Amino acid sequence: MTDFDAIVVGSGMTGGWAAKELTELGLRTLVLEAGRPIVPERDYTEHKPPWELPFRGMGDRRAIAARQAMQRNSVSFDELSHVFWTDDVDNPYSTPADRPFYWFRARQVGGKSIIWGRQVYRWSDLDFEANLRDGVAVDWPIRYADIAPWYDHVERFIGVSGQAEGLAHLPDGQFLPPMEMNCVERHVRERMQQRFGRERILTIGRVANLTAAHQGRAPCHYCGPCHRGCITRSYFSSVNATLPAARATGRLTLRPFSIVRALTYDRRTNRVTGVGIVDAQTGAEREYGAKVVFLCASALESARIMLNSGVGNSSDQVGRNIMDHIKWGGGTGELDGWTDRKVTGERPNGIYVPRFRNVSTRHPDFIRGYGFQGAAGREGWRSALRTPGIGLAFKQRLRELGPWSMSFWGFGEMLPRAENRATIHPTLVDKWGIPSLHIDCRWGENDLAIHRDMNVTAAELLEAAGARNIEAPRGPSTPGGTNHEMGTARMGRDPKTSVLNGWNQSWDVPNLFVTDGAAMTSSGCQNPSLTYMALTARACHYAVDRLKRSEI
Amino acid sequence: MERRELIRWLVASAGVAALDTLAPDDLIALGRDVHARAGAHADPLIAALAERILPGAADAGVPAFIERMLNDWHTPEERAPIQAGLRELSDLSRLESIDQANPDWYARLKYLTAYGYCTSEIGMRELELWPPPSRYDGCAPV
Repeated sequence: MTDFDAIVVGSGMTGGWAAKELTELGLRTLVLEAGRPIVPERDYTEHKPPWELPFRGMGDRRAIAARQAMQRNSVSFDELSHVFWTDDVDNPYSTPADRPFYWFRARQVGGKSIIWGRQVYRWSDLDFEANLRDGVAVDWPIRYADIAPWYDHVERFIGVSGQAEGLAHLPDGQFLPPMEMNCVERHVRERMQQRFGRERILTIGRVANLTAAHQGRAPCHYCGPCHRGCITRSYFSSVNATLPAARATGRLTLRPFSIVRALTYDRRTNRVTGVGIVDAQTGAEREYGAKVVFLCASALESARIMLNSGVGNSSDQVGRNIMDHIKWGGGTGELDGWTDRKVTGERPNGIYVPRFRNVSTRHPDFIRGYGFQGAAGREGWRSALRTPGIGLAFKQRLRELGPWSMSFWGFGEMLPRAENRATIHPTLVDKWGIPSLHIDCRWGENDLAIHRDMNVTAAELLEAAGARNIEAPRGPSTPGGTNHEMGTARMGRDPKTSVLNGWNQSWDVPNLFVTDGAAMTSSGCQNPSLTYMALTARACHYAVDRLKRSEI
Repeated sequence: MERRELIRWLVASAGVAALDTLAPDDLIALGRDVHARAGAHADPLIAALAERILPGAADAGVPAFIERMLNDWHTPEERAPIQAGLRELSDLSRLESIDQANPDWYARLKYLTAYGYCTSEIGMRELELWPPPSRYDGCAPV
C-alpha cells in the first residue's frame, strides 16, 4: 500500500521542479521539507528600510556567533536574510581541523532557491565530454543534445534575462530582454573587443530575474536585496514559481517540519518503499509510502540520507567526489572619467566573461577553466566613513561619489577526486538524533592553478580597459564557500563506478532518483542550478514514463 | 550605565539570586530588555560628540544607534577603550586635533556616527538614497 505516487525530499531548487513536473504529469506527490513554511507576505523582508534594523545591517553579532558562526560566511547572509540559513548548533557537522569546509544549508520551504545568486548558464559538450577527453574520473552518461530541450523547458518557465552571443561553449537560451550595462561596463566591453576579439568577450549576466512580465510574475523593480525574498516574485524560486504551479494541479501535498531520518528499503522487491521522518516540532516519527522517491535535499544532504539508509551505494561512490567552484581570484581597478555619471537603482546582476581558457587552445598549467562575473560602479558614502574631517565638510564628503571601479571575480572548475569525501560521523548527531556528516575536502593542484591564473587574466582585462591601481583579491575561497557543492552521487555509465545512470536513477534501486547537485559528474565552471533543474525535469518525465509501463 | 551593572541592579531589585543559572542567550536578552526600558536617554556626551562630527546626527537618532552598537554589538574588550576615550574627552573644543590624530576609539565612534546617519531615515532622504528609484539607469547624470 502506498500513501502517494511519489515522494520528493526537499522543496528547493530541484524539489520544487520535481513537485511541479510530477504533479503536472498526474502523480499524487508528497514533498517533505525539513524546515518551516514560508509565507511571502510575512517572511520576505527585501523592502524593510535600514533604520528598522536594530543593527542597521551589521547583524546581531552575538546571536549569530552563538548559533550561526559557520552559516554567516555565506555572501548573501545578512541581518535579515540570516533566517533563511540553518542553525549551526542544531545541525552540526565536522571537518578535519586543518581543512575547513563551508556547508551552507537552508531549511525552509523554498530551501536555497530563496537565497541563491540566480546566475544561470548552460553547459555544452565542452563540459559533458571533459572527463572523457581528459581521462578524469568517469564520463558523463549524457551530452548536450540530451539536456538542451530541458534547458529550453526550464528557461521558458523560470524566466531568464540575457544576451545571445552565439558561443558554442556557452549556448544561448530562451532569453527575456537583457539587463542594461552601465557606461563603464560598456567601455570595458569595447576595449576587450579591441584587444581580444571574440576570444574573451564580456556580456551581461544571464540571470533568473525578470525583465518583462512572465508567467504571471512581475518584472524586477531593481530594489536590490533579492536574498531577502521578493514580494513581486520577480526572480525565480520554488516559492515564487514551481510550488504554486504544483499546488495548482491539486495533486501536491507539502509537509514542512519533516526531517528525513532514512529511506525504507525492501530487499525482496529491491525497492524503496517509503521515507521515515521525524517531525521537527514534536519529535514524532512516522513513515510515508510511495512508488517512487526523488532525493532533492541538496548534494550533501541527499548523500547523508543515502548513507544513513544504507541504500544505493554498491559503488562506494556516495559521498565522494565533492566539488565546489573555486573563487576569489580576479581583480579590481579604477577608471578615470565618467565623473558626471552614476548608477541609479540596484541591478540584481553583473557582467559575465565566459570561459576562454582551454576552449580552442591548451593552457600549459591546467585543464578546464573559469568564467568571470563582475561589475563596474562608484562607491558612495561607505568610502567616506573613514575619511578625515568633521562638521559640514565631513557631511559633504558623505555625498560625494568615489571613482568608477571595475571588478572581475573568477569562478573556477574543480576536478572530481574520490578522496574529497563526506562520511557518516561515528558519534556526532543533529538535534533529532540523526547521524551527521564528516566532510573532508580540499582543493587540488589543478584547482589552485586555475585560481592563480584568474589573477593574471583579470589584470590583463583591466589593463586593456585602461584601469589603474589594479588589485588582486584574496587567496582561494574555502571549499564549499561558493555554495555550489555537488558530485556526491554521480551519474555515470557503469554501476561499478557511479551511483546514478543517465536518467538520475539509482543503478541499485530503480525507484530511487537523485536530481540535485549530487548527480554531477564534473563541475564545469558555470553556476550549476540551471543544469540541476533541467536534469530534474528530464528525470521526472523518464520516471513517470517508466511508472506507466510498470517498469519501476 | 554598564550592561553588567544594569543586570546586577535588576537582579538585586527583583530578588533573583541565581543569575548563574541563566544561559548566555537569556542574559543577553535580559540585558537588552533592561536597556530598552532604561536607555531612552542617550548619553549626552555621545550625543554632543556625534552632532559635532556630523551636524544633524542627533535629529537622525544617531546617538541611540551608537549606544545600541556599543552595548549590544561590541565586545567588552572592544567597548572598554571607547569608554575610556569618552571619559577623557572632557572638552569638545579639542575635537579638530583629535580628528587629526584619529585614535582608534575615536575612529570607531566616528565610523558609527557616519554609518548611523547614512542608514537613518533622515540621512538616507538627505543623501537621496531613499526612496529607492524602482528602475535601473547605468549612466544617469550625477
